[in-house]
Amino acid sequence: MATFTERMGPVLLLWVAVCLSGSWAVDKGNFKTCDQSAFCKRQRAMKPGESPYRALLETMELTNTRLTLQLINDNNKVRLLLELYRLQGNITRVKINELKPLKPRYEVPDVLIREPPTEPLSLLSQDENGVVLSLGAESQRVIVSARPFRLDIVEGRDVLMSLNSRGLLGFEHLRMRKDTQADPEAENKEGTDPANPAETAKEEEEKVEDGMWEETFKTHTDSKPSGPSAVSLDFSLPGVEHVYGIPEHGDSLKLKTTDSGDPYRLYNLDVFQYELYNPMALYGSVPVMLSHNARRTMGIFWLNAAETWVDISSNTAGKTVFGKMLDYVQGSSETPQTDVRWISESGIIDVFLMLGPTPRDVFSQYASLTGTQAFPPLASLGYHQCRWNYNDQEDVRSVDAGFDEHDIPYDFIWLDIEHTDGKRYFTWDPHKFASPKEMLQGLQDKKRKMVAIVDPHIKVDTNYKIHNEIRSRGFYVKNKDGGDYEGWCWPGSAGYPDFTRPDMRAWWASQFAYDQYEGTMENLYTWNDMNEPSVFNGPEVTMHKDAMHESWEHRDVHNLYGLYVHRATAEGLIERSGGVERPFVLTRAFFAGSQRYGAVWTGDNAAEWDHLKISIPMCLSLGLVGISFCGADVGGFFKSPSTELLVRWYQTGAYQPFFRAHAHLDTPRREPWLFGPENTALIREVIRQRYTFLPYWYQLFYLAYQTGEPVMRPLWVEYPQDPATFALDDEFLLGRDLLVHPVTEEGARGVTAYLPGKHEVWFDIHTFQKHNGGQNLYIPVTMSSIPVFQRGGSIIPRKLRVRRSSTCMEHDPYTLYVALDNRRTAEGELYIDDGHTFNYEKKELMHRKFSFANGVLSSVDLEPNAQFTTKSWVERIIILGASKPSMVTLKTADGENQLEFDFDASMSVLTIRKPGMNAGADWTVTLQ
Amino acid sequence: MRFHIITAAFLWAAFVESRKIRGISSSYKRFYRERKSFLCIDGSKIIPFEQVNDDYCDCADGSDEPGTSACPRGRFYCTNLGFRPHYIPSSRVNDGICDCCDASDEYNSHARCQNTCWNLGQKERAYVEGQMKTLDEGLRLKQQLIEEGVLLWREKQAQLRELQRAAEDLQIKLEEHRKRKHEADRLKEQTLKALKAGDRGFRHQNSTVSHLFQLLDSNKDGSISLDEVKAKVVLVHDETRVLSEDEALTLLGGGHQMDLSKFQNTLWDVLTRGDGYKIKDAHSAPGGLMSEDPHLKAADRAAEWEAADLKKVEEAYETVNMEISDLQKKLEIDYGTDWEYLFLNGQCYKLKVYEYMYTLCPFNTVSQKSTAGTEVSLGLWGMWAGPAKNRYSQMVYENGEPCWQGGSRTTSVSKDQHAALASGRTQTWSTQSNFMCCVTSANVNPCDIWGRASFTRSLVLPAYSLTGTQIGSDKTIK
Repeated sequence: MATFTERMGPVLLLWVAVCLSGSWAVDKGNFKTCDQSAFCKRQRAMKPGESPYRALLETMELTNTRLTLQLINDNNKVRLLLELYRLQGNITRVKINELKPLKPRYEVPDVLIREPPTEPLSLLSQDENGVVLSLGAESQRVIVSARPFRLDIVEGRDVLMSLNSRGLLGFEHLRMRKDTQADPEAENKEGTDPANPAETAKEEEEKVEDGMWEETFKTHTDSKPSGPSAVSLDFSLPGVEHVYGIPEHGDSLKLKTTDSGDPYRLYNLDVFQYELYNPMALYGSVPVMLSHNARRTMGIFWLNAAETWVDISSNTAGKTVFGKMLDYVQGSSETPQTDVRWISESGIIDVFLMLGPTPRDVFSQYASLTGTQAFPPLASLGYHQCRWNYNDQEDVRSVDAGFDEHDIPYDFIWLDIEHTDGKRYFTWDPHKFASPKEMLQGLQDKKRKMVAIVDPHIKVDTNYKIHNEIRSRGFYVKNKDGGDYEGWCWPGSAGYPDFTRPDMRAWWASQFAYDQYEGTMENLYTWNDMNEPSVFNGPEVTMHKDAMHESWEHRDVHNLYGLYVHRATAEGLIERSGGVERPFVLTRAFFAGSQRYGAVWTGDNAAEWDHLKISIPMCLSLGLVGISFCGADVGGFFKSPSTELLVRWYQTGAYQPFFRAHAHLDTPRREPWLFGPENTALIREVIRQRYTFLPYWYQLFYLAYQTGEPVMRPLWVEYPQDPATFALDDEFLLGRDLLVHPVTEEGARGVTAYLPGKHEVWFDIHTFQKHNGGQNLYIPVTMSSIPVFQRGGSIIPRKLRVRRSSTCMEHDPYTLYVALDNRRTAEGELYIDDGHTFNYEKKELMHRKFSFANGVLSSVDLEPNAQFTTKSWVERIIILGASKPSMVTLKTADGENQLEFDFDASMSVLTIRKPGMNAGADWTVTLQ
Repeated sequence: MRFHIITAAFLWAAFVESRKIRGISSSYKRFYRERKSFLCIDGSKIIPFEQVNDDYCDCADGSDEPGTSACPRGRFYCTNLGFRPHYIPSSRVNDGICDCCDASDEYNSHARCQNTCWNLGQKERAYVEGQMKTLDEGLRLKQQLIEEGVLLWREKQAQLRELQRAAEDLQIKLEEHRKRKHEADRLKEQTLKALKAGDRGFRHQNSTVSHLFQLLDSNKDGSISLDEVKAKVVLVHDETRVLSEDEALTLLGGGHQMDLSKFQNTLWDVLTRGDGYKIKDAHSAPGGLMSEDPHLKAADRAAEWEAADLKKVEEAYETVNMEISDLQKKLEIDYGTDWEYLFLNGQCYKLKVYEYMYTLCPFNTVSQKSTAGTEVSLGLWGMWAGPAKNRYSQMVYENGEPCWQGGSRTTSVSKDQHAALASGRTQTWSTQSNFMCCVTSANVNPCDIWGRASFTRSLVLPAYSLTGTQIGSDKTIK
């Protein structure tokens, strides 16, 4: 402390003054509104109307894979090049760039997993007004209208989506700077000097507005060397009233209209103490929006990594339900429609129209472009214990022992920034963590693991190896004058490695090798924080937009930076094991495609009930755009939760994909056993519940890895025709089969859960009570209640022998929960592999399918070519909604034998005792 | 020794324990007598005896599976022959981690557990023996410290009484000296009054006039010359300036010579008025003349002498009183029921933690000094703050230097009995200093802490075992 004040005294005093005056909340003034972001203001000033753009049909070229034609802006005669592709899997790609830009404009690399394969486009008709192209068999067509330019995608007689139908296509072409900074007076003259009519005319066309060539926000000036370069485009979605996605925002699942305020902003920012229910940008950005109505689900993927704003308006917004009914009865009025408009600061327009039609189709379409969720190590689906900070090895040891003492399982304990030697990542504090391997071995002995933080800001310190190497290799991001960019972050003055460079990423990855990163071993994993990047003294707490990544401005790549950090780190963890072990890396910043590298959390939330509630829509939104491995800090990061809130948060977090408790340095300790025996028991119980469901979680992640389907999903994904589900975000589904309605109200005596599906039945997983679908069900709750339901018709494998960690449970037997539907059938799956290597790619896995029909439960192999053996066996089968059999027979390759069973008539639950067959065997169990 | 007996006792216990029923203690053996059926211990269910420990949980209380991991709330008994037996949760049976020192929990896992009970037992026995010794020695030490404490207490009390006596003596002396000084002052006053009264008497005046005349008449020729005036008479307000001819002439009444009779009528008046001229090196003409008075001189000296004496006595009195109040303050501190903590007063203990040196002076101060040299007060003696039952287990030092965001540093020092026992003949205190100070960063995280220090380390103080807990008794060994 003393040395610290000596070093930082003057700065500190100022900061202390600043912080003392602030109240608890984000300082919105630190972040731009659309009006304060020059390009957004300029583009948004453009109102719907006739577009100045015209398609020059004579320039059309149609090859087997794409159509190109030129667009001209009749106001300034600048020509654009439109490229249109039909991609495999019902996706249309529209690219618009300048025909002849002054210099290349940025096209986002490394997000698509490959150049998307195309399918032939065929010309259906053409006249002077436009062309009609076929999008394959399903009577889907693209209509390109020439004057003004617009694109319509139609199916039969229905318009699915229109582009530039409101005439908001905007494309600021690159230009030479007319005014010069050196002669500010010249600027004034130019505008008014009648002696130069040619110039004046030109000026009318290309008005020099404030903020085109330079922009100042607070004390920061953006030098804008390339001048204006924004792009924007509008999309109309007839028949659509619900749009979702474009995370990350602390807002509801269903996106709101933005007419009365700012657009949703996508710009990765380190927002201190973020507020909820507003469109402000947060730590990550995925420029993907889903639209949904009872007939169709579609997606728009706007591939642009620059600062982006998304406006949403709707012709039905604001109408009451009664008003809508009236419209319907009177047969009057327009069809509902949602209009969306994307605005980005630079780059090109490159947009993928994912045409569905089902939610699953959209997930697979998006997955075909950006890949699927990385298949995580099984242990990472367990419980994570984190805090800023576990102070030293002794602290880690005693927290670890606390879990054993209180018989609470956990898999990972985490170390935040204080574990390093002076915030120098890849190092350990020599006093507090003097023998990290010893500590890691201690955890290993209990089959537990650790995560240590590695942030991308690198302390500028010539005694720090990492810094010296990055500097000498020229790997740092440069400032506008060509020197190494330096910003202020945890270590003080810091450099930011240029992760957009493949050579930099390769070098970074190599630093995770066991012989490079001293004190590490295989049970140490990594956490990337502050990778927006966070720059304490930068504009909006991030990097200056005119910083340089080789030839590109930070402006162009900003939203990608976090993805690259995450990627390089994940690759490092893969490499250190020779490509054998799956990595686990958590990131705060993300972009489209980040799902391929690991987990994401919702950043620095707060110990407040609203933050608990918002964790549901925030993770649902991420899941819809491919990022399934999502979680919020259990307990809330800032502030201190009440015991009730903490318990409720554990109960919610246990049913969300990434389950980690975390807390700010300044908060009192909150390990699960610090709140009295009753609450310890409540928390223990819910963590144990999590562990019993690990086989199901693992199977869902395997599914997400294979198909891109979200693990945690909104109800409408499974019940797309039920409008009652469209805006639900206080409950959610895990896969198809578990419905979770956490208690997120303080002092709740009951919750009302919507059980979807008119023909479904749902079983309370705790009481086995059966409820019909298609109803709002009031459920009285106590502190121990977690309303969770298993869908009738599903079979969920669980492991009920909860042990110290997931790894300890590897060989344990399964209990199958068979929940029968109204037709007395059920289906489910079981996926098993070694839990931690990539050997599943070599088919070293076991994937079984269970089905129950006509009184026979059977297990068959879904992957006969795969090879894996397990010690696990089936210890119990619980059939919910069963009737009492007279005899239960197991048939395996070894023969037949009768099984004991127990029938609870009051709940119609049949428990079959110890069938005992190996989980990998083929078998049938027959009820007679 | 008694340890041998204990060891023998549990050797025997292990021998009679049923081999068949894994995971139960001998006291539970009666529930597991081999019969046709087994009644769950909670009485909830009867199952065939074959289903005991068959790796399937039948009883809600887990009693049918004491030796497997099948029941969620079950427990497994580690016999741990040669060491202490204990229960582990069933979930730790065959989880690949060695929990029982006799390796009995991992009978069907890939973990290769060694039986370490004998070693552990030996260590434990050695430890307990050591503890017994420590305890004995500790108790002896404690007794000694109590005795010392009592002696010290008495000594201090005696010292206090002595000081109080001295203070009383001094007070008497003080009275006496005050009286005497008062007397001397009065005498001096009288003399001065008499002298002033006598000034108007002629004889007195006469002798003084001639005395002054002689003073001025440097060459003793019976008259004062111009040069003599210039040499001896100066301006009252500017003694350094030599008088001019004219001024001297004026004083001599215009002539160059002045005899005694003329002097008495002229210059004498000027000089005795004392407002214009005076004799060089005299304060004022009349005063200077009076101080020459031998009576006055004697009275003055006497008064001064008495004042100095009084001051000395007063100082002594004050010092003694301060010592008394210091001692009283010290004696007011609670040093434990038997004054067993008294010896800590006046000591200081140092502890280095990372780059900081901590100094604890019990009943006084705690401070932290960084290698950079800045010293920060972490608190001043506050009070004993242990729980009601064990008040003397914790000290609190308060009102240390204030923190950035308000509040002042406080330190609590707790007695660490475990460490005390482990470290043999010492008593250990751990200090938990709560002196984090928050400093915050600009726009990002205004109220994040940037720097904080805390330490929990043991200070080893020379001491004794604290209580008479019967550590090492048969109970803990079993």
